[in-house]
Amino acid sequence: MTTPPINLTADKAGGVYVYCVARGDGNRLFGPIGLDGQVVYTVGNKELLAVVHNCSAQPYQSQDPQVVHGWVVAHQNVVLAATEAFGTVLPMAFDVIVRDSATAGAAGTLKTWLDQKRDRYVQLLDRVAGKAEYGVQVLWDCQAIAAWLAETDDELRKMQDEIRSKPKGLGHLLRQKLAKAMRAAMEKQADRFAQDFYSRIRPCMEDLRVEKPKKVDGNRQMLLNLSGLMRIGSCDLGRVLDEIEQSKGVTVRFTGPWPPYSFVGG
Amino acid sequence: MQPELPKAYHRATLVDLLDRVLDRGLFLRADLVISLAGIPLIGATLSVALAGTQTLVQYGVLADWDEEIRAVAPPRRRVLPDLEMDAAAL
Repeated sequence: MTTPPINLTADKAGGVYVYCVARGDGNRLFGPIGLDGQVVYTVGNKELLAVVHNCSAQPYQSQDPQVVHGWVVAHQNVVLAATEAFGTVLPMAFDVIVRDSATAGAAGTLKTWLDQKRDRYVQLLDRVAGKAEYGVQVLWDCQAIAAWLAETDDELRKMQDEIRSKPKGLGHLLRQKLAKAMRAAMEKQADRFAQDFYSRIRPCMEDLRVEKPKKVDGNRQMLLNLSGLMRIGSCDLGRVLDEIEQSKGVTVRFTGPWPPYSFVGG
Repeated sequence: MQPELPKAYHRATLVDLLDRVLDRGLFLRADLVISLAGIPLIGATLSVALAGTQTLVQYGVLADWDEEIRAVAPPRRRVLPDLEMDAAAL
């Protein structure tokens, strides 16, 4: 692991694919664990290094989903190996490739770039040190919530009673009105839940990002899609999420620890 | 080392990983950098739909990750469902 990769100059290859940036110096060889089994090593200056493999100055592209999946998984595995080796890393997005310039090889270009960005990256590394990213997704069961609101909301109950009291055929307009009121009640409840859950999760996290909710299967909808940066070993997030899951019709999905992909950009 | 994990601790799916690796992470913006950041990768976009139920464990990643599998579908905007029928059936 510590042998300097003397023959692994990036210059002839035209580019280096960058997996992550970490604190450290010297050369480190990770071996053939990169995309398509490429040899992964580090390029660095005194304070910062980048974990890379040599490639041509072309982005990785494929029509085959399996190939793309394989690459993304390999990218993640290298980031994890680097995390194990260096403790804290700034993970790159997929397909970031630094290429040769007129005056320097790709490795040289990369070193210059690390120098230029040093302050910012050191600051980011300090920010994520000792922390990991966690994903929290809160979903609810629309039908269960609709049934619950129909039973518990006074206005909705009144409207239902009114419909029942009318002769068949005359309730059509009222039904439309009820559907509209139900939708409004659900939207209100969704907002109430989302705000409540966010404010309960927020204190567990050093930082919390709201991501776009995703479509899910069946009757369920995603109310909240969160990425949180949490201090490793801290926290009663488990208790908080268990409590949230006690709410009517609500399930919680939790993933992690992740490298801090969501907290190094922007 | 690990925080106390919530009971609702699910296996990460490939979608969870693609979300992070393709859309987030550190980007570079410089003349000397080739980066597809923000540009949908051919294949990757479609593949997200296929990937929902495949857990990372099947890819040999994070094999110690835990328990139940719940699939997450590809990214779309949140839309409240058409409740006309549900409400009419009440």
